[in-house]
Amino acid sequence: MRKRFGAVQAVDGVDLELHPGEIHALVGENGAGKSTLAAIAYGAVRADEGSVDANGVVGLVHQHFKLIDRLRVWENVLLNREPKRGWTIDVAAARERVRTLASTYGLAVDPDAVVETLPVGIKQRVELLRELDREPSVLLLDEPTAALAPSEIASFFTTIGDLAKRGTAILVVTHKLAEVIAYSQRVTVMRAGRVIASHLTSETSADAIAREMVGGEVPALAARAATTVAPLLEVRALSARSATSALANATFDVRAGEIVGVAGIEGNGQTALADALAGVVPFTGELIYEGAPLHAGDTPASRLARGIRVIPQDRRHEALVLDWNVRDNVVLGRQQSLAIARYGDAAREVIERFDVRPADPNAVVAQLSGGNQQKIVVGRTLTSAPKLVVAYQPTRGIDIGAAALVQSRLIEARNAGAGVLLISFELDEIFACADRVLVIANGTFVGSFDRASIDRGRIGALMAGHA
Amino acid sequence: MNATLAAVLAILGLTLVKATPLIYAALGGVLSERAGVVNIGLEGILIAGAFTSVVVSGATGSPLLGALAGVLAGMLLAAILAYAATRLGVDQIVAGTGLNIAALAGAAFGLVLVYHQPGASHEVPAFGHTGEVVFIVLAFVVAAALQFVLTRTPWGLRVRACGEDPGAAESAGIDALKTRFRAVVIGGAIASLGGVYLSLAELDLYSDGMTAGRGFIALAAVIFGRWTPLGATGAALFFGFFAALQYSLQRAGVPSQLMQALPYLAALVALAGFAGRVRAPAADGIPYVRQ
Amino acid sequence: MIAALRKGALRDVVVVIVVVFGVGSIAMLLAHVSPLDGFGALFDGAFGTPEEVAETLVQATNLLFPALGIAIAFRAGLFNIGAEGQLILGGFAAGWLGAQFPLPPYLAVPMVLLAGALAGGAWGAIPGFLRARFGANEVIATLMLNVIAVLLTTYLVTGPLQQGGGGAAETAALPKAAQIPDLIALAADPHFTLAYLLTPFVVAIVLAFVLWRVLARTVFGYELRAAGEAPEAARRAGIDLGRTAFVAMALSGAIAGLGGATIVSGGLHRFNTGLSPGYGFIAIAVALVGNLDPRWIIVASIAFGMLQSGGIAMQAEAGVPREVVTLVTGLVIIALAGRRVVANRRST
Repeated sequence: MRKRFGAVQAVDGVDLELHPGEIHALVGENGAGKSTLAAIAYGAVRADEGSVDANGVVGLVHQHFKLIDRLRVWENVLLNREPKRGWTIDVAAARERVRTLASTYGLAVDPDAVVETLPVGIKQRVELLRELDREPSVLLLDEPTAALAPSEIASFFTTIGDLAKRGTAILVVTHKLAEVIAYSQRVTVMRAGRVIASHLTSETSADAIAREMVGGEVPALAARAATTVAPLLEVRALSARSATSALANATFDVRAGEIVGVAGIEGNGQTALADALAGVVPFTGELIYEGAPLHAGDTPASRLARGIRVIPQDRRHEALVLDWNVRDNVVLGRQQSLAIARYGDAAREVIERFDVRPADPNAVVAQLSGGNQQKIVVGRTLTSAPKLVVAYQPTRGIDIGAAALVQSRLIEARNAGAGVLLISFELDEIFACADRVLVIANGTFVGSFDRASIDRGRIGALMAGHA
Repeated sequence: MNATLAAVLAILGLTLVKATPLIYAALGGVLSERAGVVNIGLEGILIAGAFTSVVVSGATGSPLLGALAGVLAGMLLAAILAYAATRLGVDQIVAGTGLNIAALAGAAFGLVLVYHQPGASHEVPAFGHTGEVVFIVLAFVVAAALQFVLTRTPWGLRVRACGEDPGAAESAGIDALKTRFRAVVIGGAIASLGGVYLSLAELDLYSDGMTAGRGFIALAAVIFGRWTPLGATGAALFFGFFAALQYSLQRAGVPSQLMQALPYLAALVALAGFAGRVRAPAADGIPYVRQ
Repeated sequence: MIAALRKGALRDVVVVIVVVFGVGSIAMLLAHVSPLDGFGALFDGAFGTPEEVAETLVQATNLLFPALGIAIAFRAGLFNIGAEGQLILGGFAAGWLGAQFPLPPYLAVPMVLLAGALAGGAWGAIPGFLRARFGANEVIATLMLNVIAVLLTTYLVTGPLQQGGGGAAETAALPKAAQIPDLIALAADPHFTLAYLLTPFVVAIVLAFVLWRVLARTVFGYELRAAGEAPEAARRAGIDLGRTAFVAMALSGAIAGLGGATIVSGGLHRFNTGLSPGYGFIAIAVALVGNLDPRWIIVASIAFGMLQSGGIAMQAEAGVPREVVTLVTGLVIIALAGRRVVANRRST
C-alpha cells in the first residue's frame, strides 16, 4: 500500500508511505506539522498541493477526542452509521454491534454509558472503536498515549500490534521516543513541515531521533542552585472539584526555594488542585500560606494580591485575550496594581527576558506561535515577583526551544526564592526540574519522592493506581 | 352547569388558545437550538406567518392557501437567519434581532402597500372556530412528533450531535452546517404556524404588533422546557395560563396593563429561578467555522 | 482581529450601501415610486433647510445615546437588547419629575437628566443583577423588560400619573426651566450662541468621547473589555465577572435613560407613549455600524439620523411609507452581525 503526500505551508513537500502490517511512527516537536499531516491523510483537511492515495478506509483517532460528551457510547461509536428499523434507530442492534466490536478488539466498554462520565482511558477506547467500526485499512493515531498510564500503554500497543498483524497500516504520531523505539518498525522525523529523515527503527536510537527533531543539541536547562528552603504553603486534607476533575484529601507542603513536581496522568485531579489554589473553585480542608489561612471563598484577585500566581493549562482560553496585543496581555493580572504609564516597560521586560518573537509590544497575540504565547504567560507571571507559582502544564504544545527556556526560567525563579508547584503530564519535565516529586492518581496523592530517590518504575506504577 | 366549573373550564380553554402560538414558536425554537442555533428571530417569523397568510387568504379567498404562504414566509425568514448563522458564521443573537426589526417594519410596510392603510389589514377569509380547534390539536401532535424525531430517529441524533459538538459531528461524516441550516428552516416552518394561528384562526386579520413579543416568551419556554419539545410545550401552557388569567382578573378591576404584563413578569421570575440549573446544548449559539 | 476588522470594514461598508440602496429601491418600486424620487426626497428631507439639518441632528442624538449604552454592554460581552425600555423609562422619569417639582434652571435640568439616567440605570441593573447573581440570560431578560417598561409607563400616564391637559395620556408640560436648548428651535434663527453647546447633540458627543477614553485608557475599561473578550482569562486575572456584568448593564441602561431624558427635556417637553419610534432597536444597528467604538458611533448615528428624518420627508413628499427605513435598518443589522461574534461565554 502506498501513500503520497505533498503539500505546502504547515506541511512542506512531504512524501510518506505506509505499509500494511507495519507500525510507523511519525515524530517531531510541537509545530513540526505532524498533526496537520495526519489530518490531511484522514481527509479532514485538504492539502494545497499533492495527493493522498489510500487503498481503503482511513481512520483517525484524535489527540483531543472528537466525542460528544452528552451522548452515549453507542451513539458516539455509530454516529451517522446507525442501524435502522424503519424510520427509527434500532437501539438494541446498536448496542449489540458495540459489544461485538468491543470483544473483537479487546476494548471493553459499556454501550449505554454517557461519555462525559467516563474516565479518559475509556473515552479513548470509544474513539478507537468508532474508527475500527469503519474497518479501516489505514489507522492514524495522534498522540494516543497522552492520557494513558504506563501499564495501559503496554496493553494499548498490544492491541495496535494485533491490528497491524491483521493487515492494517498504522501511523502513530507521537513525541514519546521511548515508545517509538519499543513499538514501531519504522520512524519518520519531521521538522518545520519537512521530512528530515526516515529510518527503520532498528537502525536508529532515541538520541539520534531527538537530534534530528531539534536540528542540533537539545538546549540545556538552567542550573539548580543551592537554596535555603522556608515554609510557604501547607496543604492539609484539601478536597475540591472543578468541572469533571476531583481532588480528595490532599496533604503536602511547598516550600520557598524549591520546585515540587506533581506527576500524574491527565484527568486525575490536577485541574481541581490548580483551580482551588487559584481561587477559582471553593475547597474544603486547609490551605495555610505564609502562616495564614486561605479561605474557600477567596476571589482570584485576593490570591493574586498575596503573591500566588497560577499558570493555567489552557493559555488560549484561560490566560490570554487573543485579540489584544502583547502589551495588554502582559498587563493582564496586574491591571489593578500597575500604573498605565508603566505598561510599556512591563511589556518590554517580558519580551526581552523571555525572547518573545516578534519583539513588538503591539503585535496581536493571536498571530504569535504557541511557544511565544506561552512565553508571554510565563513571563508576565515570573516578572511580577511571585512568591508561589503553580505551573500547570507550562510547556504544553510548544516547541523544544521554548519549552527549555520556560523550564529554565522556572528553575531561576526557584533559585531566587519562589516556591514552585509544577503540575505536568510529562514525566521527563518533572524529573528535569523538580526537587521533590509527588504522585497523584484518582484524585489523591499516593507517593512522595526526593530527587535523589526517584524511581521511574515505582512512580509509573503509582500513577496507574497500583500501590 | 355549576358556575365555578364553567369558569374553570373557560380559563382552561383560554389557556389552550393563548398557549397554542407559543407552543408552535417554542417548538421551532427547540429544534433550532438543539441543532446549535439560537433563534431570536422567532418573533419575526411569527409576524411573517401572520401577515403573509392574511394577504394570501385575502387575495385567493382560501385560508388554506394563506396558511401555506405563511409557512413559506416563515421558512424564508428562517433561511435568512440560517444562512447568516451557518455560512457566514455571524452572531446569532444580533442577526435574530435584526430579523425581528426588519420583519415588523416589513409587515407594516406591507400593510400600507396592500391595504392602503397603516395599522391593520381588512378582514379576510379565516379558519373559524373548527379551524382554531384543529390548530390547537395539531400543536400537540407536532410536539409529540418532534419529541419522537429528536430522540428516536437517525436525523434527530445527528441534529443533537451538531448542537453539542459540531466538530465531533463532522469528524463522523455529518455536514454540521447543512444539518443546522435544515433544522432552523424546519423550525421556522413550525413556528410560523403560530403566526398563522394568530391571524387566521384566532382572528381574521393582521394588525400591527399583534404578535406582542410572543416570540420572546417562546424563547423563555424553550429554556424552561429544558430544550425538549414536551418540556417546551408544558412551559408554553404555563405562560398561556398567565395570559388567560388576564381576562378574568381584568373583570376584577386590576389594571389591564398589569395583566398584560403577567406572562412577561412570569418569564422574568422563572428565568431567575431556573438559570444555572439547566444546561443548553453545549454548542448552542456558538457559530461553527470549518477549519 | 483589528487587522481583520480593517479589511472587513471596507467590505462591510459596501454591504451596507448595497443593502440600503438595493433593498430600499426594491421597496420604493413596490410602492410605485421611482428610487430616484424616493432617495431624492430622503436626502433632501434630511439636509434641505437649516430646520431639516437640525431635525437630522436631533434624530442622530436620539440614536446616539442608546447606541453608546448598547456599545458599552456589548463590549462587556452582554447583549443589552433592552435599550428601548431603558430609554422609555428614563424619559418617563424625566417628564414626570420635571413637571412635578419645579426648580430653578440650574437645578431643574440636572435633576431631570439625572432622573432619566437613574431610571434607565435601574432598568438596566435588573438584568445585570439577574446575570451576575443567577447567571440568567440577559437577552431574554432585557426583551421582557422592554415590554414591561412600555406597559408600565402606559399604565402610569393613562392612569394615576396622568397629567396631560384634556385627559391626554401624558405627563404635564415641562417647565421652561427644565428644558434644555432645542436645535430645531435654534435653527429657525441660526446665529451661533452658547445655547448650541448645551443641546443634547453636543452633550452626546462629549459623552461619546468620555466613554471612548474610559474604555481605552482606564482600568475599569480594561477590565470591562477583558470580561467581554476573554471571560475565563479575565476571571483568573482577578476580574470580578459578576460585578462587571452588573455595572456594565447599569451603566448601559443609564446612558439609554439619559437619552430618553434628553428627548423629553430637549424637544418633546413631556412624556407620552409616542416618545420613541423604536430608537432603542435602531440604536443596535448604529452601534454595530460604528463597530462598538464610541467615536465611530457618532458618525453612524448621523447616518441613521439622516435616514430617520429623511424618511419622514420621504413619506410626506414621495409617498414611500416610512417603514422602509426601519426595514432596511433591520437588514443592516443582519448584515453586520458578524461584527459581534460572541466569545465562548455561557449563560442559561
